[in-house]
Amino acid sequence: MAVIELKNVRKYYGALEVIKGVDIRVEDGEFAVFVGPSGCGKSTLLRMIAGLEGIDGGDFLLDGRRMNDIAPDKRGIAMVFQSYALYPHMSVAENIGFSLDLKKVPKATIRKEVEAIAEILQLTDYLDRRPAALSGGQRQRVAIGRAIIKKPAVILFDEPLSNLDASLRVQMRAELQRLHRDLKATVVYVTHDQVEAMTMADRIVVLKGGEVAQADAPIALYHRPDNAFVATFIGSPRMNLVPVTIARAADGKAEVTAARLGAIHIDDSAMPLPTGPAQLGVRPEHLRLAADADGDFDSEILVVERLGVETYLTIGSLDQPIMVRVEGDIAMRPGDRARFSIDRQSCHFFDMAGRALPRA
Amino acid sequence: MAPHHAHNPSKRRGADLSAYATLSVISIFCAIPFFWVLLASIDGNASLFLQWPRELTIDNYVRIFMQEDGTRWVLNSLFVVGTATLIVMVLAGLGGYALSRTRAWWKRPFLYTILLIRVLPTTALIVPLYKVLLTANNWLGGVLRAIFGNGPAREILKYVGFIDGYLGLILVLATMQLPLALWIMKTFFDTVPRDYEEAALMDGATMLQRIRRVLIPLALPGLGAAGLFAFISAWGDFLLPLILLSSPDLQTLPLGLFRAFLRVNTIDYGFLAALAFVYLLPAVIAFGFARRFLVQTFSGGVKG
Ligand SMILES: Nc1ncnc2c1ncn2[C@@H]1O[C@H](COP(=O)(O)OP(=O)(O)O)[C@@H](O)[C@H]1O
Ligand SMILES: [Mg+2]
Repeated sequence: MAVIELKNVRKYYGALEVIKGVDIRVEDGEFAVFVGPSGCGKSTLLRMIAGLEGIDGGDFLLDGRRMNDIAPDKRGIAMVFQSYALYPHMSVAENIGFSLDLKKVPKATIRKEVEAIAEILQLTDYLDRRPAALSGGQRQRVAIGRAIIKKPAVILFDEPLSNLDASLRVQMRAELQRLHRDLKATVVYVTHDQVEAMTMADRIVVLKGGEVAQADAPIALYHRPDNAFVATFIGSPRMNLVPVTIARAADGKAEVTAARLGAIHIDDSAMPLPTGPAQLGVRPEHLRLAADADGDFDSEILVVERLGVETYLTIGSLDQPIMVRVEGDIAMRPGDRARFSIDRQSCHFFDMAGRALPRA
Repeated sequence: MAPHHAHNPSKRRGADLSAYATLSVISIFCAIPFFWVLLASIDGNASLFLQWPRELTIDNYVRIFMQEDGTRWVLNSLFVVGTATLIVMVLAGLGGYALSRTRAWWKRPFLYTILLIRVLPTTALIVPLYKVLLTANNWLGGVLRAIFGNGPAREILKYVGFIDGYLGLILVLATMQLPLALWIMKTFFDTVPRDYEEAALMDGATMLQRIRRVLIPLALPGLGAAGLFAFISAWGDFLLPLILLSSPDLQTLPLGLFRAFLRVNTIDYGFLAALAFVYLLPAVIAFGFARRFLVQTFSGGVKG
């Protein structure tokens, strides 16, 4: 059992507040991902959970027990470092078994446990090597082995895949998920890569400038972002944000006008949109090429990226570009004009401060 | 390799040849003194000039160790310089770690200030240094005499005295070598990521275990380099033992060599050369070890 609760947690470096009152709850056995741009405090938060950084305000509870002042090795938490931090002077087996050796566990028992771990991680043939003689993926697995041999209730990962090349990263992603299923430990995983977050997480916590921007299931973040930051951070290519003016066309119908997109009517009978200036958020996959007769607006095509399976069109103007994702291969050239339609069901609206306007 | 070399192998070979020739001349130039010392030391009638020995002999070495106090000089030198080196390594290891890990405004000024010890010529400092040591020694002597009486106090002072005792020379030698060693260790620890210590902390290592099982093994190349620099430099020091030691019991190798040089009316080059060779050898051996550490220390620290 390991439920992680952070309650109004704060961290200062000198006068600088880097974690600004964070509330997070991670359920037992959950795979939680902290995601956010570089410098938003992900590592700091993770290190506070590990006990490597002090907690300057608020509480960290593990299964309801306050952990603020418990030593790192007494928390039942293991951590995999971004640099792996494998001891270069020890063999793979010694690295994995180090924590048991420190506890004076008999050598034969250590060897048995290390071999069991090596079996799981496919490291059996490398146990006598030094870390310097391993590939990046193997080092990564040794670092994981060193963590899981402690049978921790919580495993922390700090950008564990960032030192691997792209194909290995995809493979390790699957491996980590399998490991998580087998171990049933609570995992907190830090990354700046939203694709990693979307593919691996049970729950994503999006961090921005030391605060939680939103925490929810991956697909919920995609469909119902709380703010423009989350809306543009989750999803690739990122959501288009267009300044618009909202006016009332009729009861239950809002007229949304943008400089280049013309005016469209949105059904807001469930929850009327406030009139005035706002931002329209629409993802590239929710814009379509339309037949000349219907569709919402015309635009010149500025950039065409043909990937075969899909095509990205950049339209609008250079200072206010809009990305459109079209299925399949579309033979168009920059300078062509085309007509587009907007999927009304998938439009998001944000006020000028970036808060999502409620739709229902 | 630049591409145009590939087109022109003969030119390339010519360039290689001249490079090797130049290097050979330089190495011969550097090696000749060693060679001369070695040759002269086993020459039955060595002279000031480089010559091929007509009769080989080890008499000179026998004389050093059997008739003269050679064994004592070697042991004294090894003991004094070895202990000083050990002290330097311990202090530089701890100090370098602290200097690398703390964030403090006084770090830079401090590091440059201690380097002054290295920069100022020892000769210029010798008078105040002697005065300080003499005062300390007199005080210590007074205390020891009061406790143990005159005779035993003199025996004890041979070891812990600041003037004409091992301890004084050891401490001063260590002090001279410490700044450079601190710099080496501070720079070295800068290249050792904190992650290692934090990983050990998460693994449940106590402070002592972190030092012994993780930090010292990681720091070994740096400590080796710092220690060998200290050893080589302290081994070569002549002025400090000359000023600080007078008892025949305490004489070190450079002093033995110096006194042998002054001693007689006719200079025995064979004997001096043998003594010089004995004196050279540890430094050369130390350098042989040092190379490995130096390469590791100055080409990017720890690789994991
Ligand atoms: N030891 C430190 N001293 C001062 N500021 C720090 C320290 N460590 C991190 N910071 C600052 O705290 C913020 C969060 O850092 P970090 O948690 O490493 O971000 P992330 O892991 O999300 O990239 C950054 O602005 C960083 O500059
Ligand atoms: Mg980070």
